[in-house]
Amino acid sequence: MGSPRFWSWAALVAGVLYFFLPLAGMFEFSLRARRGEYSLQAYANVLGDPQFRDTFLYSVVAALFTIVLGVLIVAPTAFWVRLKLPRLRPVIEFITLLPLVIPPIVIVFGYIRLYNTSSWLPLTGTAAGTNLLLVFGYATLALPYMYRAVDTGLRSIDIATLTEAAQGMGAGWFTIITRLILPNILSSLLSGAFLTFAIVIGEYVFAALLNRPAFGPYMVWMGGNKAYEPAALAVIAFGITWVCMGVIQLAARLGRHNRVQR
Amino acid sequence: MAFLQIAHLEKSFGTTRVVRDFDLSIEKGEFVSLLGPSGCGKTTVLRMVAGFETPSSGAIAIDGRDVIALRPNQRHIGMVFQAYALFPNLTVAENVAFGLKVKRMPADLRAARVREMLALIGLPDLGNRYPFQLSGGQQQRVALARALAIKPHVLLLDEPLSALDARIRVSLRAQIREIQRELQITTIFVTHDQEEALSISDRVVVMNGGVAEQVGTPFEIYNRPATRFVAQFVGTLNLIEADVIAPATGTVRIGTTEVSLGRPLPAGRVTLACRPEAVSLGAAEGRPLLLWAEIGKVEFLGAVIRLRAQAGRTALSLDMFNRPDTPPPAAGDRVQVSISPADLLVLEA
Ligand SMILES: Nc1ncnc2c1ncn2[C@@H]1O[C@H](COP(=O)(O)OP(=O)(O)OP(=O)(O)O)[C@@H](O)[C@H]1O
Ligand SMILES: [Mg+2]
Repeated sequence: MGSPRFWSWAALVAGVLYFFLPLAGMFEFSLRARRGEYSLQAYANVLGDPQFRDTFLYSVVAALFTIVLGVLIVAPTAFWVRLKLPRLRPVIEFITLLPLVIPPIVIVFGYIRLYNTSSWLPLTGTAAGTNLLLVFGYATLALPYMYRAVDTGLRSIDIATLTEAAQGMGAGWFTIITRLILPNILSSLLSGAFLTFAIVIGEYVFAALLNRPAFGPYMVWMGGNKAYEPAALAVIAFGITWVCMGVIQLAARLGRHNRVQR
Repeated sequence: MAFLQIAHLEKSFGTTRVVRDFDLSIEKGEFVSLLGPSGCGKTTVLRMVAGFETPSSGAIAIDGRDVIALRPNQRHIGMVFQAYALFPNLTVAENVAFGLKVKRMPADLRAARVREMLALIGLPDLGNRYPFQLSGGQQQRVALARALAIKPHVLLLDEPLSALDARIRVSLRAQIREIQRELQITTIFVTHDQEEALSISDRVVVMNGGVAEQVGTPFEIYNRPATRFVAQFVGTLNLIEADVIAPATGTVRIGTTEVSLGRPLPAGRVTLACRPEAVSLGAAEGRPLLLWAEIGKVEFLGAVIRLRAQAGRTALSLDMFNRPDTPPPAAGDRVQVSISPADLLVLEA
């Protein structure tokens, strides 16, 4: 049979199998913590582990700070570049892409060299300082995603005219950004935020080399020392990512309700 | 001193001068249109008044106060854009209230003003809608209400009607003018549509290549165009080539016809111009310029019938009123047309 319909279904089925078989296998494996029966024992072990809760909480908090920092840096920058410096856009875009090109290990070694205890700004000397450094690093990692999301959001509204309309009515820059720009790119901001969240929750290199009690190193440690729990953990991590994805979709749909018709 | 005073305004982008030595005085409550072809600098003048563009040189004063150094949000100006520019995340009422909120007007006064504005534009019940739920005409009316809510010193409209379809354009321009009269707000209206400019303005500024070619009432602009450009840009114009045979008495020869215009003319060749409605069918008292012409095309426009005729080498358009008892001539007819010398403009050759 050579009908295109058949082949598109075949491709879909192959794709689904390719993605879901390993997941299904892992899920099945994660249920076998008790000999001879399926149980949620491994999940109970993971969720009951105080280290799981501590590291997860740590990473969630780090992710929230990263999102706030990312939005504070990216939103005004992208806005200003679009409004006043459109010729700089390719340059800015290139800069935001650098974290994808430079391996995290290089970035983190650079950080450690720059901010070690004998440097001009000894951030790694204290736990708070190291946490700060970690959030900076995460913000860098998330930069390509955050910038792209925000820039796409800005493209969908006529920011130049809206800004002038607001200025004409007496609004200053702070009002324009908080009351006009941010609400209008909210759905893009949210999708950038959840991408950031997903990245930070699973990040290993930064957290391990800066020696922070984050969720990524915990997962790796678990993988090296337990049998069934890592599978359960992986399923949980997947679940978190998927929830994030779902929320992004939802945000995009919510945003559409008040979009201008063109 | 006029309420809005623009003097020797200039603007260059790089090496191109887009506005040149632009002067304009507008009285309080006056409605002035900037009319001109695309790219002649209308928007640039408006944006300099609003403060979005910094003049290269020149002065702008509003109510006796120099505003050049003021930022747009300090100039107290209402602006309406071609693309409406309503804030998509805010409802109609919130859009109108935006400027009031920025000015920290108390909530109850604000609500009252919003109601008043929505009533003014004739959309009292649409306060809770979002912009995307409105038609283009409604959106532009909301934009007008939003601009007027803060009681600006000056209202600036940049081609507010050109995104709308013809019927709404005509009714909305009348409504804009009515509201402007009611509030007595000083207004600059930018358009490239001459009918629009002539029909609603107290005065019209005809611009060309960054220069104000003529400033005058619609009557003056139409009947006494100061330059060749104004004459040709505004309305339809018949151009008649003529040889001056007696400069002192202004006697000219058109084809084989000789006629005196009764005013001195430069020697040589001149271009005479007249409106279609100044050309009549048949001879008449006081219209000594008589030409034989052959009717080319007959356009029935309703109250008016526009005839195209050829008189020698001169193509003429003439308008006659439609009278049910007088059928218009047909194509191919040879007719006599007459023009009064007083209706002839002399354009420099
Ligand atoms: N920011 C800018 N940089 C460079 N040139 C500009 C800029 N803004 C306008 N111009 C140029 O200035 C000239 C006048 O532009 P302007 O927008 O004032 O024309 P306009 O009369 O409003 O035309 P339209 O009827 O098409 O809106 C144009 O030739 C335009 O290309
Ligand atoms: Mg323009």
